[in-house]
Amino acid sequence: MVQRYGLDIAGGAEYHCRLVAEHMARHAQVEVITTCAADYITWANHYPEGVETLNGIPVRRFRVKRPRDPDRFADWSERVFRAGADTEAQLKWLEEEGPFSPRLVRHVERHRADHDFFVFFSYRYYSTYHGLRAVADKALLVPTAEDDGVYRLPLFPPLFRMPRAIVYNSVEERGMIQRASGNQAVAGEVVGVGSALPAGLDPDGFRARHGIEGPFGLYVGRIDENKGCRQLFDFFGRYRQQTGSPLRLLLIGKAVLPIPRDPAVVHLGFVSDQEKWDALAASDLLFMPSRLESLSMVTLEAWWAGRPVLANGKCEVLRGQCLRSNAGLYYTSYDEFVEALGLLEGDPGLRLTLGRNGRRYFEENYAWDVIEAKYLRLLRAAGAAAAPVAV
Amino acid sequence: MSFEIRSDQVDVEEIMRQIRKRIEEKRQGLYSDDEIREIAERRLDAVLDAHEFNSDFIADFRSEAAGWNFQFNPETVYRSSRGGVGALLERTRRLLRPIQKLFWNPSPMIAALSRQSDLNRYYVHLLHNLAVELTRLNLELQDLKNRNLQLQGRLELQERREKTLEDMVVYRTDAEQKGGSGGQGGA
Repeated sequence: MVQRYGLDIAGGAEYHCRLVAEHMARHAQVEVITTCAADYITWANHYPEGVETLNGIPVRRFRVKRPRDPDRFADWSERVFRAGADTEAQLKWLEEEGPFSPRLVRHVERHRADHDFFVFFSYRYYSTYHGLRAVADKALLVPTAEDDGVYRLPLFPPLFRMPRAIVYNSVEERGMIQRASGNQAVAGEVVGVGSALPAGLDPDGFRARHGIEGPFGLYVGRIDENKGCRQLFDFFGRYRQQTGSPLRLLLIGKAVLPIPRDPAVVHLGFVSDQEKWDALAASDLLFMPSRLESLSMVTLEAWWAGRPVLANGKCEVLRGQCLRSNAGLYYTSYDEFVEALGLLEGDPGLRLTLGRNGRRYFEENYAWDVIEAKYLRLLRAAGAAAAPVAV
Repeated sequence: MSFEIRSDQVDVEEIMRQIRKRIEEKRQGLYSDDEIREIAERRLDAVLDAHEFNSDFIADFRSEAAGWNFQFNPETVYRSSRGGVGALLERTRRLLRPIQKLFWNPSPMIAALSRQSDLNRYYVHLLHNLAVELTRLNLELQDLKNRNLQLQGRLELQERREKTLEDMVVYRTDAEQKGGSGGQGGA
């Protein structure tokens, strides 16, 4: 169960869900229940309602009854997050957040006997909240929670105590949710997600195709202030000015923030998956400037490609990942950014070792056989749990 | 870099410790951007608290503009937040828009409020940056004053040493002259 699903939906919990569904289909019969939405801002109906098959997985879509009105949602968010709003107001906020699809919830409720388990992705949406409550004794939750405070809204801690099991993305996410909800009694494991790995890498081809020479750091994802890109542009510009470094910054992804007019900053826009992997392999390092991440798949992908990461240390998850893997440095201020980037840029041996550590970390924790085994273990534990989970 | 890392055995925690140590060494009493920002905000807090402002006032301004500024666009005056009934109300208001325009012209008011909303955002941004900049200048001024005092102290010390050395030279010259003439006299 996920709020959007499609082959053209990149990144985030939706892509995470698709990868898990496609891999778990080797062990079980999998059906995806989702909405007709493609746009996460409005949830406007885009795909036709009904069942279609994507990469061998049946996908059952339900129409969104009312698309999200961003202004009204902003009004309700203000009301709910500023004052001590009552449950009714929080539920109204959830409805405004969407995707508001009561038919999907009704379907889940009516067909509870048709499935052994329901795996819900992303705790914060209307569809997950009401769907999970309808089939809590058969539910597994993949919260994909970020440290943005939403999970502390009084509505959610009880939700984290309801499912049979929780599939966490990181040690930090588990700690955060357990502190907020006291759900230690619910079975849970840090699992995360693997990646659709490429058959091969062609870094030289990438450089030749885009005419890129010399060292470069890469950013992959939506180019957005919320992803820390404004700060990255600022820090990177100042770093180059201060040190005279020849390093360039390559950006892959949709820009919703103006790109600096600097020849050292190159925006490639959307590229294919293979091109992204080639870019990772050609890069000297990956920048991960986001402060709110529940896992960061691209960080794991950079590690698989043997590249070190320079991450925003204010994101507890990224900092924890860097420390556990010994495969990336992090910064919490401009001074740290300068020192860490200078160190990475000036020491190819260090980059190589960090990259090697990253690859090892990926293989040990995020290879698909590891992920699938963890899911199967959790499903078995959820199936074996005799007593209903206390809420 | 001033510290070396054995590339075959990397400990990120240790590297980060060394990075922080190196920043400390470099800084030597100077403030980082983040610290300046923090000091600027703390000073502003103190000023506002003294005047019994709402304790959330600063936090609100630091948060998203939606938290403290009014949101205004040409549709705002017709909007309603009463759910299903509200949607009906909105539609009615829109339908009656041409009629109500016979009685008054809301366009100048809408334009003024939209502009005011933008201005509020710019002013807060400007004031915040000015406060940070002023704090930076104050700290730099304080630092320069301290350095000036240090230099003055050193200068005074150097002057005293110079005077002492000059006295010593005068004293030694006198003594040598006296010693030299005495020796010659004794030979």
